[in-house]
Amino acid sequence: MRILAVAIAALLGGAALFVPESTFAQERTVKITGFGAKSGVVRVFGVNSEAALKAAAEEINNSGGVTLGDGTKAKIVVEFLDDRCNAEEGISVVRRIASTDAFIAVGPTCSNVAESLFGILQKKVGDSSDSGLQFPIIADVAAKGGLAKISEWAFRNVPSEFEMYKSLFAWLKTQHPDLKTIYGGVEKDFAHSNATFGVMKEQAAVNGFQLAGQSEWLLADTTFSTQVREMKRADADIVAISAHPFTTCGVLKEMERQGVKPKLLIGLTSSSSIETLQGCAKQAEGIIIPTSFAPVTPEAKMAAERVAKFGGSADLHSAAAYEVMFILRDVIEAQKIMARPDTVAADRVKMREGLAALKETKGLLGKIGRTPDREAIKPFLYVHAKDGSWEVLYNPAS
Amino acid sequence: MDLLDLIDTIQSIADGLLFGATYAMLGIGFTLIFGVMHKINLAYAAASVGAAYASLLILAGVKAPPAVVFLLSAVAGGVLGGIVYVVCFRFIPLVNPLATLMSTVGLLLLIDEIIVHETQGVPLAYPALFSDVIVRAGPFGLRGDLMFVFALGCVSMVVLLLLVYRTRLGLATRAVSQQPTAAQLCGISLDQVNGFTFIVTGVVGGVAGAMTGAAIGMLSPLLSLPLTVKGLIVTVIGGLGSIPGAIIAGLLVGGFENIFQFLRGVSERDLYVMLLLFAFLVFRPGGMFRTSSARE
Repeated sequence: MRILAVAIAALLGGAALFVPESTFAQERTVKITGFGAKSGVVRVFGVNSEAALKAAAEEINNSGGVTLGDGTKAKIVVEFLDDRCNAEEGISVVRRIASTDAFIAVGPTCSNVAESLFGILQKKVGDSSDSGLQFPIIADVAAKGGLAKISEWAFRNVPSEFEMYKSLFAWLKTQHPDLKTIYGGVEKDFAHSNATFGVMKEQAAVNGFQLAGQSEWLLADTTFSTQVREMKRADADIVAISAHPFTTCGVLKEMERQGVKPKLLIGLTSSSSIETLQGCAKQAEGIIIPTSFAPVTPEAKMAAERVAKFGGSADLHSAAAYEVMFILRDVIEAQKIMARPDTVAADRVKMREGLAALKETKGLLGKIGRTPDREAIKPFLYVHAKDGSWEVLYNPAS
Repeated sequence: MDLLDLIDTIQSIADGLLFGATYAMLGIGFTLIFGVMHKINLAYAAASVGAAYASLLILAGVKAPPAVVFLLSAVAGGVLGGIVYVVCFRFIPLVNPLATLMSTVGLLLLIDEIIVHETQGVPLAYPALFSDVIVRAGPFGLRGDLMFVFALGCVSMVVLLLLVYRTRLGLATRAVSQQPTAAQLCGISLDQVNGFTFIVTGVVGGVAGAMTGAAIGMLSPLLSLPLTVKGLIVTVIGGLGSIPGAIIAGLLVGGFENIFQFLRGVSERDLYVMLLLFAFLVFRPGGMFRTSSARE
C-alpha cells in the first residue's frame, strides 16, 4: 500500500514538471484607470462610469481577457479616481495616473475638466517644442462639443449633440408642421447646458422655428416663478429646456403651477435619465430628448443589466464608458501592447496611434463612426417620458 | 412699463416674499446662535437640508403623509443641531472665534458630502402640502404651498419668540446671551443652555429645510451653499442676534431677489442682493434691528 502511494506521488510530481511554466506564473493583469466626479453633486456620473467600466471589464475577463503583444492573456483591472468635477483636481489626477505604468486613462465627467485637462497634453504629436504630456486620454462623459480638437492625445466616445439636435429639429419640422414658435430655458452657469442651448437655438432657427424668447436660471436656483411667467407670456408652441434634472424639474413643476402647457417639450440629453423621472415624472410626461443610449438592442439590454449589477445605471454617458472598454481591448490587441513597465512610453504611443487610426467601432446601438478630429459619430434615438419611464419615440436610423 | 409688466412685478414681489419665509427661518437659526454664543454656525443651512434629507431617507419606501415627513425633518434637525454643538462648539475653546468658525465650515462640507454619498447627488422629490392650490385674486395668484410655508414659518417664529420671552428656559437663554458670567453665578449651566439653543435652532432648521424642499418640490445637495449665503445675508441685514430682524430681512431678501430677477435677469440678480448687503454693512452695520450684543 505504501509503495502504491509513493508511486502515485511520484507520478503526480513528475506530471507537474511537464505543466507549462505559465500556468504557475502569476496571472497577468492590465490596469485601466478611469477618472471622473465621484463626489459633489455630479457624483452619480462618476458612479455610473465606474460601474460601466467594471461591468465591461468583467465581460471581457469572462471571455478570456485581453491578448497582449507577447501573446499572453491578461485580465483587465479597473481603478477609478475622483476628480470632483474640478479642473485642477482633474489635472492632478491625470498627472498621477501618467506617473504610473498606465498607458491610457478614461475620463473625465465634466467638460470644464476635459477642456483644461486636454490643454496640458501635447497639442501635436511629434512636436519637440511642445513639452505637453504625451499620454492618451479617452473621454466618456464630457459632452461639450469639439473638445478632442485641443490635443492629438485626446479622444472621445461622446455623442455629438450638434448632430442629435440637428436631426431632432428637422424631424419635428416634418412631424409637426403646425408648430411655429419656440421658447428656450437655460441653466446659464453650466457649460454643457449653455453650449447645448446654443445648438438648440441654432437648429431651431435653421428649421424655421421662430424664437419667442428665452429665460435663464442658475444650477442651484430654487424659484423659477419669474422665468416661467416670461415663458407664459411668450406662449410658444415648443418649450426647449437645456438644464440638468434638478432645475429641469423645478421649471417643469413651476410650469404646471402656472398652467404653462406648450404643445411640445424638448429636454437636454443629460436629462434623459432616471433622476428626472425620480424628481418629476408627472410633470416631465411627454418631454422629448435625443439620446445615444436606450436598452433597445440585446447588447444594450445586457449592458444595462451588467452595469446595474455593479451599482450603476446605464444611460447615454455610462454606456459610452462601457463601449470604451471594448474599444480599448481591440486597440490593445491590434497594437500589440506589451503592458510592461519598460514599454510604457512605447505603449502610450501605440495606443494613441491605434485610437487615431480607428474609422469605426462597435457600439451598443450599432456602429460608431470616428472622425479625423478624434470624436465619435454615435447612433442615437429620440426618447420621451411616458408613464414614468423613458420610451423610444423614434429611431432616425430606421 | 405696461400693465402686464406691472402685474408681473407685483407678482414677483409676492412670490419672493412668500419664499422669503424659508430664508427668514434660516436667518432665525443663525441669529439665535449668534445671540446666545456670539458665534456663527456656518453648518446651519447644511444641517437643515440634511434634516430634510434624513426625513426622506428614514421614510424611504413608506408612503407617509407630508405632515409626518415635515415633523420628522424637525426632529432630525434637533438631533443634528445637538450633534453640531457637540462636534463644533462643546469641546473647542470658545475664546478663539476662528476655531469654531472653521469647524463649522468643515462640518458644512462633511454634511454635504454625506448627503451626496447617500443619494449619489441625485435630486429627490420632496412632498408638499397644498401644492395644487392657487389662490387667485384678479390677475394675481398665490401658491398654496408657499402660503403654507409662509404660515408655518410665522407659527414657528411665534413659538420661538414665546419660548425665548415667556419661559424660564428662554429667560436663561437670554441671561447667557447678555451676561454669561453673571448667568453662571446664578446657577445657570452654560453648556446646557448652549446645547438647548442648538437643539431648538436645529428644530427650526429642520422645519426650514422641509419647507424649502416643499417649496421647490425637490431636494438637492446643491442647496446647502446658497442657503448658507442667504441665511448669513438675512442675519446681517436683520441685525446679528435679532429674531424680528431675521424675520423681516428674510422676507425682504426673498422679495428683492425676485424683483431683481424680473428687472435685471439672472446674471445680475445676485449682484444687487450683494449690493444690498454691502449697503447695510456700510451704512447700518448693526442691521435693521441692532442688538446690544451686536453693537459690542
